[in-house]
Amino acid sequence: MTKMLEAKGLTKVYHMGAEQVHALRGVSFTVESREYIAIMGPSGSGKSTLLHIVGCLDRPTSGELAIEDRDVRKATDNELAEIRNRKIGFVFQTFNLLPKATALENVELPLIYAGVRRRERRERAAAVLERVGLADRMGHRPSELSGGQRQRVAIARAIVTEPAFILADEPTGSLDTATGAQILDLFAELNSEGNTILLITHDEAVAARAQRVIRLLDGRIVSDTGGSEVRA
Amino acid sequence: MNLGETIRSAVWSLQSSKLRSFLSMLGIIIGVAAVVGIVSIGLGAQTSVLDMVSALGSNLIMISPAPTLGRGGSVSADPRDVFTVQLAQHMQERSPGIKLVVPLVQGSGLLIYGGSNLRSTVVGTTPAYTEVTNYKVRAGRFLHDLDLEHQTQVMVLGSRVAERLFGQANPVGEQITYVVGDRRYSFTVVGVMESKGQVLMGNYDNQVYIPLTLAMERILRTKTVSTLMAQAASAEAASEAVQQAEFLLYSRLGTADGFNVTSQDEMLETMGDVAFTLQLMLGAIGGISLVVGGIGVMNIMLVSVSERTREIGTRKALGAKQRDLLLQFIVEALVLSTSGGAIGLLVGTAVAEGVSRFGGWPTKIQVSALALAFGFSALVGLVAGVYPAMRAARLDPVVALSYE
Repeated sequence: MTKMLEAKGLTKVYHMGAEQVHALRGVSFTVESREYIAIMGPSGSGKSTLLHIVGCLDRPTSGELAIEDRDVRKATDNELAEIRNRKIGFVFQTFNLLPKATALENVELPLIYAGVRRRERRERAAAVLERVGLADRMGHRPSELSGGQRQRVAIARAIVTEPAFILADEPTGSLDTATGAQILDLFAELNSEGNTILLITHDEAVAARAQRVIRLLDGRIVSDTGGSEVRA
Repeated sequence: MNLGETIRSAVWSLQSSKLRSFLSMLGIIIGVAAVVGIVSIGLGAQTSVLDMVSALGSNLIMISPAPTLGRGGSVSADPRDVFTVQLAQHMQERSPGIKLVVPLVQGSGLLIYGGSNLRSTVVGTTPAYTEVTNYKVRAGRFLHDLDLEHQTQVMVLGSRVAERLFGQANPVGEQITYVVGDRRYSFTVVGVMESKGQVLMGNYDNQVYIPLTLAMERILRTKTVSTLMAQAASAEAASEAVQQAEFLLYSRLGTADGFNVTSQDEMLETMGDVAFTLQLMLGAIGGISLVVGGIGVMNIMLVSVSERTREIGTRKALGAKQRDLLLQFIVEALVLSTSGGAIGLLVGTAVAEGVSRFGGWPTKIQVSALALAFGFSALVGLVAGVYPAMRAARLDPVVALSYE
């Protein structure tokens, strides 16, 4: 198995006026290929900060971070954008689809930034939309789709670039329980098909679907259970 | 993300809010239309004024006495006194740069033919008048040297005078009565001139022409003429001819203040300068409305950036680089302003066309003016787009994604 992500001693300090807020106080963990990990913690535990850093949207104050063996600490802003584009598939709680674009156009968006040609883009976007069960909704706008369908579009957008891992932030947080369960089924299927998933949640029931659960509290990992035996 | 892709997505993004896009374009549309319309009308006016000057004649020099101020109780010499037929002859003979000098006297009076009458300007002049003014005879003949010698009572009509007194009929050979004060003269019409249209000072078509000698001695009873029209030997000799005329008058009058000598070139230059200044001023006013339109575009782009903060955050999370977002918003502003510019060109051209067709004003649409107005609209869009685009590009993705 290859390492998709390796974090060592990540810290993050925010300066709020004169006060310093330690959001992360030394977080280390490794994500292997094909793992399905839930990162849990109450609000204020640092899980959003960890999401931003792991998602290359923000930089740690100290510590090391490598994605697919690439050290991202020294990457420029442009290189970070490229890493986000190619290595990370974001799924947001509020879907974050472009409201005036069709499902197909929304899924095409990361491929546009990857410089993929129009025809290939169309084909790949259509293929993943089919994969998430929206073959008949490609021309619909987000406002014409249900919450569950919107999240499926967002998941299709996340996997269309074939990233190193999917990074999902409370993906069921805006959905009712039944719809949420269907989305979690989809994640499980995608995982069994070989996708690596990193899912951030505060919901025990959601976390229970993952193989491995990392619990955060006050900026530190307090437990890491269910992973492969090799870990110490 | 390549440029074609960016333009397509900008058009798409603007189409998705049509009314707002149109409203923010409106300033640019009005600005460009104003510039195009005003400049076309201005150019048309300039061209027609210059045509009027050109229509006066060829290599023409106008020489006339200037009004003078007497000093105290003593009567100063009246410069008009030296403007005689002899001066004209003298000028023509002694000045190598001057080919012809035509003296003119003018009076007004009532022309009567049959049941109709017409008030008209009567010009007493010599046969060379037609040559100096490029004036062509349509029917019959112009004045002849013998007419001057014998002071024959013949008259040549301007085209409009002929039309109004005779309609379609041929006036040549008809008798016209000319009434000035309580005197009546009977004239035989010997010719009708071609239409020359409006020229700089008056309209040749509304005048009638009689022999100079007759006009001076029997009708106006004057020894002096009102104007000398001289023709320079060539276009190159024009300034030389002006100097020679000035020198001659200076030697007669002993002062440089008593007369005006103006060449056609000088008139063209003066008129051209005036028209150009006017043009520039009107164009600048149009330019100001373009700048105001640009502020509108900048405003709408700023609104759009803050409205789409989450979209910008999402795009960044999906891999958009700063450059991509910078380009996206600048191109949106450019598409907005250049489509406004294009519509403005059409509107402005249509307005200019309408003004010339229905208002009867001369207009002239110049491609360089269109290009300038359009280019300026693009520049305005670029300038208006840069700042909002920079704001979008520099947004922190974490902040943008959590923006409510």
